[in-house]
Amino acid sequence: MRKTSQAFQRCVFVALLLAVALLDPQPEPVRAAGAGAPTDWLAPGQQQALERARQTVPLIEAIRREGPLRRREHLHDLGLTVKAVKTTYFYLNSPLISAVEDHYTGVRFNHGQHAAQAGDCSVCHHLRPEQDVAYSPHPETVRCSACHQQAFDERVPERPGLKAAYHQRCIGCHKQQRSGPQVCTDCHLKQVPDHAKLVKLPEHPDALQVTAECLRCHEAQAHDMLQTAHWLWRGPSPYTQDRSREVLHGKGTTALNNY
Amino acid sequence: MRRRSFLKMSLGGAIGAVALRPNSAAAWQSRAPADSYAALVDLTRCIGCRKCEQACQQEHDLPLPMKSFEDLTVLDNQRRPDAARFTVINRYHSGRVNPEGQLVADYVKVQCMHCQDPACASACITGALSKTAHGAVHYDVNKCIGCRYCMVACPFEIPAYEYHDPLTPRVMKCTFCEQRLREKQLPPACATICPTEAITFGKRSALLKLARRRLKEHPGRYIQQIYGENEVGGTSWLYLSAVPFSKLGFIPLPNKPLPKLTETLQHSLFSYLWSPALLFTLLSGLFFFNRRKQLQQPENSAGHAGGDV
Repeated sequence: MRKTSQAFQRCVFVALLLAVALLDPQPEPVRAAGAGAPTDWLAPGQQQALERARQTVPLIEAIRREGPLRRREHLHDLGLTVKAVKTTYFYLNSPLISAVEDHYTGVRFNHGQHAAQAGDCSVCHHLRPEQDVAYSPHPETVRCSACHQQAFDERVPERPGLKAAYHQRCIGCHKQQRSGPQVCTDCHLKQVPDHAKLVKLPEHPDALQVTAECLRCHEAQAHDMLQTAHWLWRGPSPYTQDRSREVLHGKGTTALNNY
Repeated sequence: MRRRSFLKMSLGGAIGAVALRPNSAAAWQSRAPADSYAALVDLTRCIGCRKCEQACQQEHDLPLPMKSFEDLTVLDNQRRPDAARFTVINRYHSGRVNPEGQLVADYVKVQCMHCQDPACASACITGALSKTAHGAVHYDVNKCIGCRYCMVACPFEIPAYEYHDPLTPRVMKCTFCEQRLREKQLPPACATICPTEAITFGKRSALLKLARRRLKEHPGRYIQQIYGENEVGGTSWLYLSAVPFSKLGFIPLPNKPLPKLTETLQHSLFSYLWSPALLFTLLSGLFFFNRRKQLQQPENSAGHAGGDV
């Protein structure tokens, strides 16, 4: 008796679920295949950060010379500490860099976090322009690209360009601190060329045509793939019990290879 | 002619020829271009990322290496530039330690130094190698006959040869991206891609000034030497380092341009062909002297013979 009532309950539950599924007038929108994150959504502050990254400002040539200690005291006296940080998030990228070399995407840089951890603005804002600049409310802490622009600029030969200024400062500190990003792709993703422009295929290609088109550029990768277990069906499986050394049975050895 | 007078004459002739020959020993002139481009490598900035190798490969359309440019295990071995790569990064452990007591690696970029007075160009018998006003040691494949004297002459052992190509082999070495500068007004590919600006590109005079400024402003960071400022009469690639250059695979070289000795020797011995002319004069003199002696001897020996009989 109890068993039958349980079975009945289950039947009713399934029927209800089916009814709900069938009657639901607006099913969940299905994301189009191949699309990543929704394109119309941007993180807060991202729009401003991207716009700011696109801006360029005129090069400041005259710099006020100040020793590191004096500079630190000076900024402290002016009240330029973590509390004065207005913009917490920057997107580090610039047409100054991408016009010459564009191999990586920009870097999401948490200005507020870095200011809090360094506790000292003079680590990065190490010098200031001789004259105040109109676009910056704080001439003491102007943006990097006010002074660091093109590499090998004959007007200011001793100054690294913007790309080198970023890298020298970031890599120097992160090496010293032994924390945070350590290799290139920890900070920025590789700029993959737009394959829609590179791939040349007929209207309705067959599978072999597609493979041939991939191989046009990625021949070395294809060669590498032929050495792997994905192709050979044999090789060590280090994470499988009793198969850590070599697979003696299977498609690569004893069984019929049916692909 | 008496033997004594002949010797006197020939000696006098030799002294006269030496005195009269053009005074080219003192006249050796450096042909270094006055306002050429150069590159300054600050080894304290190099992080050993091998991006310069990659940029060089792409710029010159060189064959792709077996291992990816992102594979830093290749730094475990010391490498040399060869026919398939114009520049390499080598890693050295000179014994320098960081505040935590761990060894700090030094990375060294190796490529053609583009000497101000290149020994390879001096040794080249067809003029296929030449120093341009731009600063590069330019290689003209159409003039090259493949004698590989440049490979023997180079103090840095840089020029490589395409031994694998039996029909159209070329001498391969860094071009200083001469074409790139001329056509696109861009510095060498390795210099623009370098993330930390370890390679600075500019006029040689400006870079020497910049290098001295860095040495002066950061005396603790560098050893007080600019490698390439005076070595073999100066090179277009200059280096700054934190540790002595001898620990980083740089060979100690004389400050004299290498072609100075060889060209002086050659130009003083062979100008107006005076030395071969003198040699053959002496030899022909000797020949005539001996012949005369031989012509005289049979008379004497015949006389003696007759006397004996």
